[in-house]
Amino acid sequence: MKQWLLEIYRVWWREFRLVLRDEGVVIFFFVLCAVYPILYSLIYNTEVLRDEHIAVVDDCRTQLSRELVRQLDATPEVKVVSYAANMQEARELMRRKECYSIVHIPRDFSSSVSRGTQGHVSVYSDMGLMLRYKNMLMAITEVTQSMGARVQEDVLAPVSYGGVGLIENRQVPIGNTAMGLASAILLFILPLIIQQSMLLGIGMLHGGSIERRRKNRGYDPMAEPASVSSTIIGKMLCHQIVYVVPVVYVLHFTPMIFDFPQNADLLQSVALAVPFVIAVSFMGQTLQAFINERESVFLMLAFTSVIFVFLVGVSWPRYQMSRFWYTIGDCVPSTWMSNGYVLMQSTGASLNQISHYFVMLWLQCGVFFVLAYCVERFVSRPRYRRWQQKAEIDPDVLQRYDIVKNGVG
Amino acid sequence: MVQLVRRPMYFLMMVFVPILGSWMLMDMMKDGVIREVPVGVVDMDDSELSRKLLRNMDALQQVEIRRHYKDFTEAKRAVQRGDIMGFYYIPEDLQERALSGRSPEVSYYINYSYYPPASMQYKGFKTISLLTNGGIVQTVLRTVGMPQHSAMAALQPMVAHSHMPGNPWLNYNYYLNMSFVPCFFALIILMITAFTLGTELKSGLCRQWLATAGDNMVLALTGKLVPHAILFTVVGWFIQWMMFSVYSLPLNCNPWHMLLAMPLFVMANQGFATLMFCFTPSFRLGSTLCTLMGMLSFSFCAFSMPEEAMYPWVAAIGYMVPMKYYFLISIDQALNGIGLYYSRVYYAMLGVFIVLPLVMSWRIKHECLNPIYVP
Repeated sequence: MKQWLLEIYRVWWREFRLVLRDEGVVIFFFVLCAVYPILYSLIYNTEVLRDEHIAVVDDCRTQLSRELVRQLDATPEVKVVSYAANMQEARELMRRKECYSIVHIPRDFSSSVSRGTQGHVSVYSDMGLMLRYKNMLMAITEVTQSMGARVQEDVLAPVSYGGVGLIENRQVPIGNTAMGLASAILLFILPLIIQQSMLLGIGMLHGGSIERRRKNRGYDPMAEPASVSSTIIGKMLCHQIVYVVPVVYVLHFTPMIFDFPQNADLLQSVALAVPFVIAVSFMGQTLQAFINERESVFLMLAFTSVIFVFLVGVSWPRYQMSRFWYTIGDCVPSTWMSNGYVLMQSTGASLNQISHYFVMLWLQCGVFFVLAYCVERFVSRPRYRRWQQKAEIDPDVLQRYDIVKNGVG
Repeated sequence: MVQLVRRPMYFLMMVFVPILGSWMLMDMMKDGVIREVPVGVVDMDDSELSRKLLRNMDALQQVEIRRHYKDFTEAKRAVQRGDIMGFYYIPEDLQERALSGRSPEVSYYINYSYYPPASMQYKGFKTISLLTNGGIVQTVLRTVGMPQHSAMAALQPMVAHSHMPGNPWLNYNYYLNMSFVPCFFALIILMITAFTLGTELKSGLCRQWLATAGDNMVLALTGKLVPHAILFTVVGWFIQWMMFSVYSLPLNCNPWHMLLAMPLFVMANQGFATLMFCFTPSFRLGSTLCTLMGMLSFSFCAFSMPEEAMYPWVAAIGYMVPMKYYFLISIDQALNGIGLYYSRVYYAMLGVFIVLPLVMSWRIKHECLNPIYVP
């Protein structure tokens, strides 16, 4: 037992030195965590769209229709850039991307309203981006409702006399109170940045070790002789220590800088991150089975970020995924971490309330430990032994193998 | 100088991963429209009117009532636990006030951290209130002897009708995957190209490579990348077939317009990766830059946040990657089906990305003749 703990300590210390000595790993572990959140936040930081360009086709040409257009122009959402004589002309403007929506006011608009029937307005939007359509819809709804309210008073007189009150609505956005896009997306992305930087860094460390083995007849001079479990746990402890600063920076200070919702208690979000970092460390040590050299890390791991982002449920809600994708999402630490973290930050949930996520993360720690153990014991180590045996027969075989594999192919 | 793609990893990455990834994105969102957002209700009134309102809500497609909560605090806790994404609050005096002519107020509490479901909830809740009001008004107007059709006019004297050409169902699959699937493919192309060029530089065999092409860098690059381009184009067409045929994303133009865009898109991305190597001719930096740009394209290219709402420098970076132009082409052509004339600039820009690295290739040549590998 004492021997085992000592081994853990030695692996931990060695891994620590390897991390700090390797530029590439430092970039992944620290620079990526420092820069990515800022970069992403800056992209979305404007949060909302203002003054979307629209064109108007006014076939009614009355005081009422002109007022409608003026009011539209005054909304923060849209800006009238052009009056078109007819729909053909307006469509041409849309094709040239000079406007993204068209408002068409038909000839009978104002007469219908004054007659006491409904006045109709048509809106055509470019559907390339959902936000443009939403903006246009918001502006026109607001304007028609507020202008309608004045007409309404006359028509509704009998209703009020009849002694009936209409139900009024009030929307209270909770969590993301500004209803901004950045606040909604970034909170999900932040834990993912940590996960991906860890996976890439761990993969690169392993790739470095493999390259050293190729050059040294199957031995890695930098590897500590230690049992399988102590190797894995030692490395994990090292990652845990290394990641204290990035975790606090990314999860606590980034929302502060960009004024995202920040209702989580620092201690509690760090507590949630502990099993997360452990699980990701073991996951990284499992995935390293696929890595043969330093640079292929990009190739094998970078694209997984895209997949994990979708599994988290940021653009398509998780409850509506098919059983299959839902279960796959369950297997990734970021799914639990991101959702738990978002609930904490946005609604101010306590760790106790989201204990389900917390427990699932610990469960993943266990599962990935077993997987990492299997990979190290049954894949990596037998492979090193094979290499060592081959190298004893022919000292250059591993390096030649390197060239054949990487070379002109 | 056609070379065999010998490593199984290439096959895996060039064929298997793009197809699997695209399939995943589209299969995940195949429902298209978000339905049955889990919500809660707090009915403090428990009157005839409130029960009628909730029955109507139950029938709605947008939301699904998971539970009734006895008060505000309990519902709020459920939101915090993540059981529901919002709730509808009915005050205790709803019916009383409605019947006595003092307008009651219902509130909806929506967690906007889950953005798409939140918009859907808002729509659902709003519909319910409108329907209930319609019911009230209609009854009253009938009792005072007004014609029925004026009930709606009384509620909403002016109505706006939205027309959504190309995507009238507000289908998320159409909207998101039109951009995300090709962007994912672009990421893979960028990485593979960077990796191929990078290994060439790293392994120190680049002199040999250059010699095979008769010391002509343009020829060497073309020879190296054309086999990849062919394979990628075939994969790309397969993905397009999945998009437009299997998952029936809108294709309102002549299919040839999109089929033509694919090889241009593939080669433009290869060109972009090569260009990155022209600027930073080292394996590590080149592939880092390509991966970085590939990943950030998802945000820079303005798929969800319109470019005019971004900081100008962010929008400008968007225009520096080929993905942006392919995206604009697919909006113009596949979604809106407008004339090829309006997209001419985008096609041309893809062409520029193909030619530019060939012009700049002397920089790589220089690097090939003096290879330095910094580990």
